[in-house]
Amino acid sequence: MMRAKGRPVLLQTDRFELRSVTPADASDRWLGWAKDPAVMGPLNLPARAMRREELAQHIASVDNNARYLVGIFDKASGTQIGFFMIDVEVMHRYAIFNVAIGDKNWWGRGVVNEARAALLDHFFQARGIEKAVGLPLARNFPALFNYKAQGWRHEGTLRGQCLSLTDGSRLDQYQFGMLRKDWQRLRAKGAPWAS
Amino acid sequence: MGELNGAKQLLAEAIGAEIAAVPEAARVGAFERWDSLAHMRLILALEEKIGRKLDPDEAVKIESLKDIAALLDRRS
Repeated sequence: MMRAKGRPVLLQTDRFELRSVTPADASDRWLGWAKDPAVMGPLNLPARAMRREELAQHIASVDNNARYLVGIFDKASGTQIGFFMIDVEVMHRYAIFNVAIGDKNWWGRGVVNEARAALLDHFFQARGIEKAVGLPLARNFPALFNYKAQGWRHEGTLRGQCLSLTDGSRLDQYQFGMLRKDWQRLRAKGAPWAS
Repeated sequence: MGELNGAKQLLAEAIGAEIAAVPEAARVGAFERWDSLAHMRLILALEEKIGRKLDPDEAVKIESLKDIAALLDRRS
């Protein structure tokens, strides 16, 4: 039985609109990211040519309850530059955040933390989430930077946690966590990337 | 902390600036020019300098110039 879809996400930051994507967002740009090793490699996903219908089906399968797929759109141009995939463990009220910035022109420009700050606000305040989790590969140094700059706590290093989907080696992963109460504290302090 | 200048030099190169543009108090999240791409360049340059890959538990602790200097100091 198909589970009913939850409420889509729609948020604004200074530079970006964040909204749940729909099958109509399955664009050539997005298909280009899927076959780009520089975009997919840090996520430990194989770069591959997808058909638009496949991507549209993948987007359609997201229920906005247990999984969210939130596009990051540049407000100035209306162009999508990346996306968050957020998996929710409903029973334990935590959410695992994954992000990809497909448009390389935006790399190193603070997109992830500006967008994620708004998503943390939203998921903590409006979706009943009490903890956010990030699981970047240990060699994904830009992601490592973003978690630290935003004030997430390094909760552990998971040695050989996953298998590389590109060369079969075992990869280390970090676990970062952000409790709702810690995020509220950072917000109150006006900490960088939390204000 | 004899390697503070070496650490400054690495960070300056990572952010594409002169060494004088790097404050001694530079920290992740508190020095705007130290962004995510600069962090990647910094760690790769640091690894090249010390001649080995950083252990994940070393990489995750890099937050300041002092942390970089400590790793440079420890190189064998």
